[in-house]
Amino acid sequence: MVRLITHNLLACHAKGCTSNNFPLQFQDAAIELRDAEFNADFLRGFLPRIEWTALVGAARQLGDTSLPAEQPEMLDDEFLQKLHHVLLEVHVEEGAMVCPNCKHVYPISNGIPNMLLAEHEIG
Amino acid sequence: MPEVKPTIVSSENPQVYEDVHVHAVYDEIAPHFSSTRYKPWPIIAAFLSSLPTGWVGVDLGTGNGKYLPLPYDRPGAVWTIGLDRSINLLKLAKRAGDVDREVVLGDVLDHPWRRGAFDYAISIATIHHLATPERRKLAVQRVLETISPSHGRALIYVWAVEQDELSKRSIPASADNDGQCSSPSGQTGRGQDVFVPWVLAQPAESKPKTRRKGKSGKPATPETPETGVDAEHSPPKVFNRYYHMFAKGELNQLVADAASALGLVLGDAPADGIVATGEGEKECGVQIVQDGWERSNYYVELRRWER
Ligand SMILES: [Zn+2]
Repeated sequence: MVRLITHNLLACHAKGCTSNNFPLQFQDAAIELRDAEFNADFLRGFLPRIEWTALVGAARQLGDTSLPAEQPEMLDDEFLQKLHHVLLEVHVEEGAMVCPNCKHVYPISNGIPNMLLAEHEIG
Repeated sequence: MPEVKPTIVSSENPQVYEDVHVHAVYDEIAPHFSSTRYKPWPIIAAFLSSLPTGWVGVDLGTGNGKYLPLPYDRPGAVWTIGLDRSINLLKLAKRAGDVDREVVLGDVLDHPWRRGAFDYAISIATIHHLATPERRKLAVQRVLETISPSHGRALIYVWAVEQDELSKRSIPASADNDGQCSSPSGQTGRGQDVFVPWVLAQPAESKPKTRRKGKSGKPATPETPETGVDAEHSPPKVFNRYYHMFAKGELNQLVADAASALGLVLGDAPADGIVATGEGEKECGVQIVQDGWERSNYYVELRRWER
């Protein structure tokens, strides 16, 4: 699946593409919402690892505007629930991710992103 | 009982070699392979149990994703993303433990991630499928690059030449070693390249074969020709998977070479008090936390540090 937790970690790795290669932009994304087990401790621990602006932007691309532009200081339950939903319950099943720099297209099929490159594209 | 057969890698294009003798095989045998692989090895389970809550990691060569649900004692405490080159194994991995998992189709020699984004990485029974020493070293480099330079942890498992008695495999007693491994005494062993057959019983009612109109049209090295065989009497198909069986010391040498290629000091982190200089130059390194042999495999656990 491509959920936003994974999207927040992926970057373009095409030959020579080393700057402005994150975050990838969603294209023609078909999404599915599915419940996932809520784990507040995991979310609190994971939060400092998130590239926040990229997460908020990606969520908005997928039509979810529930997250604030700035990461809040108060990690109350209401916020953690929203974060949980955005990170772990929005599945991009079909579509693609496009590099903002070199425009390389990484297709998503059956929820699995294809990050393989053709031989001549490997850096 | 399948025998392990020595082989010699045609090194003209190791990528193509692996495509035929590793990736295509796993794509063919995925469901059968998966039904036989379910028990996590103890050291891997302990490693994943020891990670702090909230950590995110990657399983490089995740196969059917059997490590993605771990740790069993604290499910959901950490998040492991699975990467593999076999799409058919990933289709199983994405529901490993009957829960949605995150999986990515990718190559362990690539780096499709933000640099150092992961807190941990595991690479279990994967690097031994790479067909040259350079590619195996690059795979270890990728493991080290994937994890955080300040605290990243990693665990690597590869097949050993030394197999335990319980293993179902029989190893040719240095059948082919004369030419391959006659390194001067004292030098680290170089391991052995082998084919490990996978015997895939044909379903009794299998329909005439129409699959495998693959891109290259190249079959996944079945030794039994499919053509003209009556389905009912189909003999089992045998797929030869390529492995490099590691010699003692070889995995640690690979770690040392990979660390050196990345400019990392190999060794324990200097104690906090003894900061080398103050000139802004950070010293980066990787420490071998533990290493050894378990159940026919060599393993090494690593931790990155910077001072
Ligand atoms: Zn790019």
